[in-house]
Amino acid sequence: MARYLTVRALLGLIAISGVVLLTFVLQFLVPGDPARRVAGPRADEVVLQTVRANLHLDDPVTTQLATYVVRTAQGDLGVSYQRRRPVIDMLLERLPATLLLAGAGLVIEIVLGSLVGVWDGLRRRRSPALAAMNILLLSIPTYTLGFLLLYVFGYKLDLLPLSGGPGLPELVLPALTLGLFGVPYYASVVAESIRVAASSPYARTAVAKGLTPRQVMRGHLLRNCLSPVITLAGLDIAIYVSGVIFVESVFGWPGIGLLAQESFVNLDRPVLMGTVILGAVVVIGFNLVADVVRAYVDPRTRTDPA
Amino acid sequence: MSDLAIVDVGVSYGRFVAVRDVTLAVPAGTTLALVGESGSGKSSLAHAIARLLPPGTGLTGSVQVGGRELASLRGRDLRDVRGRVVSYLAQDAMAALNPVMRVGRQVGEVFARHQGLSRRESAGRAGDLLRRVGIQAPDLVARKFPHELSGGMRQRVMIAIALALAPEVLVADEPTTALDVTVQAEILALVRALQAERGFAIVWITHDMGVVAEIADDVAVMYGGRIVEQGPVRDVFAAPAHPYTRALIEAAREQPDTAAKARFLTIVGQPPAGELPSGCSFHPRCPVAIDRCSTERPGSRLIGEGRHAACHLAG
Ligand SMILES: Nc1ncnc2c1ncn2[C@@H]1O[C@H](COP(=O)(O)OP(=O)(O)OP(=O)(O)O)[C@@H](O)[C@H]1O
Ligand SMILES: [Mg+2]
Repeated sequence: MARYLTVRALLGLIAISGVVLLTFVLQFLVPGDPARRVAGPRADEVVLQTVRANLHLDDPVTTQLATYVVRTAQGDLGVSYQRRRPVIDMLLERLPATLLLAGAGLVIEIVLGSLVGVWDGLRRRRSPALAAMNILLLSIPTYTLGFLLLYVFGYKLDLLPLSGGPGLPELVLPALTLGLFGVPYYASVVAESIRVAASSPYARTAVAKGLTPRQVMRGHLLRNCLSPVITLAGLDIAIYVSGVIFVESVFGWPGIGLLAQESFVNLDRPVLMGTVILGAVVVIGFNLVADVVRAYVDPRTRTDPA
Repeated sequence: MSDLAIVDVGVSYGRFVAVRDVTLAVPAGTTLALVGESGSGKSSLAHAIARLLPPGTGLTGSVQVGGRELASLRGRDLRDVRGRVVSYLAQDAMAALNPVMRVGRQVGEVFARHQGLSRRESAGRAGDLLRRVGIQAPDLVARKFPHELSGGMRQRVMIAIALALAPEVLVADEPTTALDVTVQAEILALVRALQAERGFAIVWITHDMGVVAEIADDVAVMYGGRIVEQGPVRDVFAAPAHPYTRALIEAAREQPDTAAKARFLTIVGQPPAGELPSGCSFHPRCPVAIDRCSTERPGSRLIGEGRHAACHLAG
């Protein structure tokens, strides 16, 4: 396991480097002049020149990249063009809000998805109502659902705030938008696992011991659904992170996603790079954690013999 | 210990009838071997006896242990009987053990459920039991997961689970088919020793005539969901009365070393699936069939001391 994790961490580092390189180059393809954004629309050429010099925007791209890579390797993500503050501080400031939203969404999709999945998996045939709901959820784009929830609960019923945060009332709608989307996926995975487990020989053994249906379910079937759920969460994390960024923008939730969007609009390159690196680290780190947890709940996936 | 009596048992999955009119008696302390081709309904009958048929499966007739009717039990009464009156030993121990639970807990669970023991007490009893089934380092093995054990060890664990509560009847569904010959011999010896000590009745399903000779007192031959012949092993082997039994024994003699399942393939034709043929189910494949066989189904008749056969030409 230790060796496996080291290899995975190294591969992760390579992936992050790739992401850094790609994003860095792509930034220069975005039209617009960062100096102009900093200096304002009415600044004259002299001011612009000074700003460019200060931000090293006139250096060749390769020099800028080299400087950036060296600094990043030392843990320095630079300073925001716009706010003149260290990027690290800005990220850390926004991180709790994002973790709250991402965590809430994840809990919703896993808990709700698993409940629905267990219910469906215990039926002899798939529930047609559930199948219809799945198709509906799968075919509505995220933004439609987000705006729909906003319209109904925020505007029409006026129950919840339209945007902002990071308080609990503001959390409800973005977390629901984020979570509801995952429900069909988790529900299908759990339902399928329950079906497979319930008709397995080990379930028959459990029944043959005289266990109650509840004991069979809790002690034997559910445990065997954990591994696929964790696998799905690991596979889904990259898409999930992009969902977080999107939902934060729609609902004005003051997290990393909103910061990424603002920095993109403002051509604030160091901040944008910072959010991208953080996203990549989260995706890779989450996958590592998922592997460790899965090895814990399913001993067959442990690579080294114990 | 008590006798097992099966009377007119039938099993149907929806409209498909897998077992029909099976009547068998297994006295306490004896072993009945159940043989027959794949799909003949052996597992269905085994599940019917152990009351492990999937929900919605039709079960008719009577399964009695010491005069107590099991076939009509439901709910709590049924759960109390499982593992305590009748136990089940599955073919593939790897698949029959929960892959994500340590084997010690899987054994101990039985005590926790039926005797209300705490986890610690159950673990202690599980350790004792594992030693009883011939596992050398029970504490070490108890902490392992099924995939970390050898096939023979896993089947020993299954035997421990099945015999934990000293049941009256053990139903074994080809428990040694997946094991190699030496391990198979060890498992057979273990079960026989435990039976000699405790006196439970065994229904042992197998494809292997060698195993029948090794472990069973009586043998019942199944074809198309029915028992076509039954009697003491020695008598049936010496003079099989039904042409199907004859073909099985013949095939086993000709190729003693080939894989058990393959032996039956030397009987010409396919076993019946779905609709049974008219008259005797075996007549399309029978080398000695007469006209009567295709029109009139032979009933099971007494053809000698403790021997029954369902064939117009028998006796
Ligand atoms: N759960 C089920 N639902 C529907 N049909 C089933 C089910 N289980 C078994 N059957 C059918 O019942 C028949 C008898 O099956 P069974 O498993 O009892 O045979 P078997 O003699 O044990 O065969 P094998 O030697 O291959 O184990 C087969 O035709 C099988 O397809
Ligand atoms: Mg079978």
